Amino acid sequence: MGLVLVQFLNALSFSALLLLTGLGLSVVLSLMNFLNLAHGSFYLLGSYVAVLWLGAGLPWWMAFPAAFLAAALAGALLERFPFRGFYGRPHLMQVLLTYGLSVILADLMRWGFGAAILSPELPEALSGVVFVLDMPFPVYRLFLVAAGTLLAGLLWWGLDRTLWGAVIRAAVADRGIVETLGIDTGRVLAAVLVLSAGLGGLSGALGAGMLAAYPGLDEEVLILALVTVVVGGLGTFRGTVAGALAVGFALTFSRVWLPELANGAAFAAMALLLMLRPDGIVAPRQRQV
Amino acid sequence: MQDRDRAGHAAAPRRALLGGLAAAALSHPALARPTLAQGAAGARPLRIGMITSLSGPFTALGESMRAGMNLFLAGSGRAVAGRPVEFLVEDDAARPEEGVRRARKLVGQDRVDVLCGVISSGVALALRDVVTEARVPTFLLGSANDLARKAASPYIVRPTKTNWMLGTTAARWTFERISKGRVLTAGSDYAAGREFVGDFAATYRELGGRIDRQLWTPLGSTDFGPLLTAIAAERPEVVYAFFAGSDAVRFLRQWKEYRLAGRVPLVGPGALFDQEDVLPAVGDAALGAVGAFHQSPTAPAAAAFGRAYAATGKPLPGEFSTTGYVCGQVIGAALERAEGDLSDWERARAVLFDRPVDTAFGRMPFDPRNGQAILDIHVNEVRRGADGKMVNTVLHTYEAVRDPGPAA
Amino acid sequence: MPSLPPRARAPAAAALAAAALAVPALLAGEFELRFLAEILLLGTAAMSLDLLVGFGGLASLGHAAIFGAAAYAAAIASLAWGGNLVLVLAAGILAGTAMAGVMGAVIRRTSHLFLLILTLLVGQIAWEVAFHWRDVTGGADGLRGLPPLGLGPWHLGGAGGLALLAGALALVATLLARSFVAAPVGRALVGAREQPLRMAALGYDIPRIRLLAFLASGAIAGAAGALYPFVNLYVGPGSVHWTLSATLMIMLVIGGTGTLWGAYLGSAAYLALQTYLSAHTDRWPLLVGLVFVLTVLLMPGGLAGALRRLLPGRP
Repeated sequence: MGLVLVQFLNALSFSALLLLTGLGLSVVLSLMNFLNLAHGSFYLLGSYVAVLWLGAGLPWWMAFPAAFLAAALAGALLERFPFRGFYGRPHLMQVLLTYGLSVILADLMRWGFGAAILSPELPEALSGVVFVLDMPFPVYRLFLVAAGTLLAGLLWWGLDRTLWGAVIRAAVADRGIVETLGIDTGRVLAAVLVLSAGLGGLSGALGAGMLAAYPGLDEEVLILALVTVVVGGLGTFRGTVAGALAVGFALTFSRVWLPELANGAAFAAMALLLMLRPDGIVAPRQRQV
Repeated sequence: MQDRDRAGHAAAPRRALLGGLAAAALSHPALARPTLAQGAAGARPLRIGMITSLSGPFTALGESMRAGMNLFLAGSGRAVAGRPVEFLVEDDAARPEEGVRRARKLVGQDRVDVLCGVISSGVALALRDVVTEARVPTFLLGSANDLARKAASPYIVRPTKTNWMLGTTAARWTFERISKGRVLTAGSDYAAGREFVGDFAATYRELGGRIDRQLWTPLGSTDFGPLLTAIAAERPEVVYAFFAGSDAVRFLRQWKEYRLAGRVPLVGPGALFDQEDVLPAVGDAALGAVGAFHQSPTAPAAAAFGRAYAATGKPLPGEFSTTGYVCGQVIGAALERAEGDLSDWERARAVLFDRPVDTAFGRMPFDPRNGQAILDIHVNEVRRGADGKMVNTVLHTYEAVRDPGPAA
Repeated sequence: MPSLPPRARAPAAAALAAAALAVPALLAGEFELRFLAEILLLGTAAMSLDLLVGFGGLASLGHAAIFGAAAYAAAIASLAWGGNLVLVLAAGILAGTAMAGVMGAVIRRTSHLFLLILTLLVGQIAWEVAFHWRDVTGGADGLRGLPPLGLGPWHLGGAGGLALLAGALALVATLLARSFVAAPVGRALVGAREQPLRMAALGYDIPRIRLLAFLASGAIAGAAGALYPFVNLYVGPGSVHWTLSATLMIMLVIGGTGTLWGAYLGSAAYLALQTYLSAHTDRWPLLVGLVFVLTVLLMPGGLAGALRRLLPGRP
């Protein structure tokens, strides 16, 4: 019984990690229809910042805002050039641009941080285990679940219930009208991108304790985030949460039940989901023109 | 829609002609080949080509291998058997197709005399036919068992271990010193993982031991939670595991997170506890774990190399820096024994295998059937060193372990 | 240059291109010829992807699964029954078309980003099969020791033979692709991309059109994939992995989507960059990434688009 419960918690914490990685991508993709393949690079940057920060003996809880700021800064620079001109372009062009940038960023990070695998020294508060029916479960993973839930909740509340969130949603839906209200939509969209980048970095810092940091992680995380966001459905946070749960549980339980076919079974499940619901799990209601 | 120029003629044929001429110019060997450096008067330069991973999942390992070889060359004044050395390095990104293309480039275009390197067994196996067909002496460093068996070649010399050597010695140690039953194995589900665990299981069972369960996880797993939870539920007497690279780091950290570190003995091939690649990133999660490996920073034969490596400002060496260095030593020995001339490779090979070579892995005799080195395999325990950092410390050495070879 | 009748122009251009390539082929060495063969085969695969991406608007990250399935089928067939060219091509085309058919059927109602991810998932399932089915595919180590390619008394496995074969295949494949695009089904495909609702209203069966596009693309990619293992006498799961799909996509975009022949330019540019740059600097991925970004910023039509603008002819 304890075993099943802990495996459930394993799946939940992995889903939390996926949610964290997917949130930033979901923000920029759902809101701005901008396919940012450099998202993995922001994640990795945040991971490296967290590793270095924690290794330098600075207060641990500040590692996360530091990672957020570092990635947000990178995002702001890239937004200024060249992202800005590509918001309206076809996806394929965005893909090539952001993919090329991710390759450049990956190499720069490899140059700067080295090729070795780095992992953070977690603080006392986040180490250790709790016992679930006499099976150990790491505190760090509970922290991930809490962080993921909190972040998703904050984002949803910010975008759905505040005035700023309304401005963002309006600017994305109809840029022209919002301009007539005297709001600089260019800055609004830039803010969205910077937020998305910062979220990427923050999730990197949170996930570093589980995934470590090394060249190549950016690509792995990007794929996970993309699949999570797309399977869940674009346009809503509920979608990303649903996607994270679906992908997280699929990957975890396939490992438990069918270890030798693990990934294949999980991919098949996700593909089936997409075939049955071509617009993702939580599909926005579309009007047929 | 056809393009037309002002005279109304089709532009396509002209385009094709221009393209063809450009391609012709660029691909002509004379323009494509780099100019050869002039060697010392009389002594022809020796071109050594190394294929290693400088991007992709094995980047850190590839950089270490290159550093090891460079250290050897620096120590010998960049000359071997009186011939100045030109050292070319190509990146295979751990992809076999890429590795084969680089090998052909080194052989066909850069005209190397000797090939060496390779980390990924996939690349090594893919190269086997290419180098045999091209008749280039190759000092191949992948470690798949087949390289010493079905994929052996008269042109390939292997100054490194096979996976079998590590799996089997780990089984012997586990049976003799730790437990005769209730072993649980866990491994990455791919060729190397299957070999490491399979060879361990076979030898362990031959000795009379019993394997409880064999757990597998996909290569490149991010979350070892399900695996570790399953292990914790089983409560085995000892766990034998194989993971490499980032998988090893994540496994060991999560091994500690799930409170298995220090409570359940952990045994594995030394790659799981690589001194350079894995231990620095896992803190004390691997403390007390035991690894079977041909390389150890505390082995007496590696002392001189270890000092030279430390002098370049690097920490304790791991497998790949040592392997790169050893590869250089073996190439050096081959050339010296053949008096600087490898053109009669059959004779040079015979002379090389005649006596063992002294390397940082110890005295290294070769098996003339398949060019495979016969190595001392150490049993390392991860202990806390004088400076507080983790060090692979030799507990015991199984001497002259010989791979069963082509008959197996 | 005398004006050619419209229908002879494309084949004439192709023939001249072939002749132009034959000149350096006679002068080049073993490595260059195999490299050329690789460029042409991957270029053909990218060109087949152009049918989907450039003309159909269907960005697929599973194309390597089609190409790789053909490669494995050809390799397995050759290991079982010898390196007969006809056998190998047949095996590859069959496997490629079958895999493409599966993909085309799966993506019935999906589009855009969802299509990208769905094809990625299907492709990765194929990769898992290739990676784990050790008995048939050799698992992670792949298949080696392939018999040399031949047709009756002719030995075609040498560098020159392979380059010739690849060139001939590229020619035939491009001509076939052009006729597909010009045919009613090709026009309907473009229509489905541009105005899916209108086409549906006019009574076109869009899923069927996309499936046909996938089948055509798969057959061509299958032929290219069939020859690929013989360039290096090796096939491994890397030929099925999504990163190869991404590479084909990049080659296509660098070369220019929607042009068919641009794919070959893209393939040559990408492979040449990757092979020759890395010998000179450790920072070569940075430079390659820079090339992508500059291509997107300065040459959105790819190399083909830039060439078209440079050479006289466009009004």
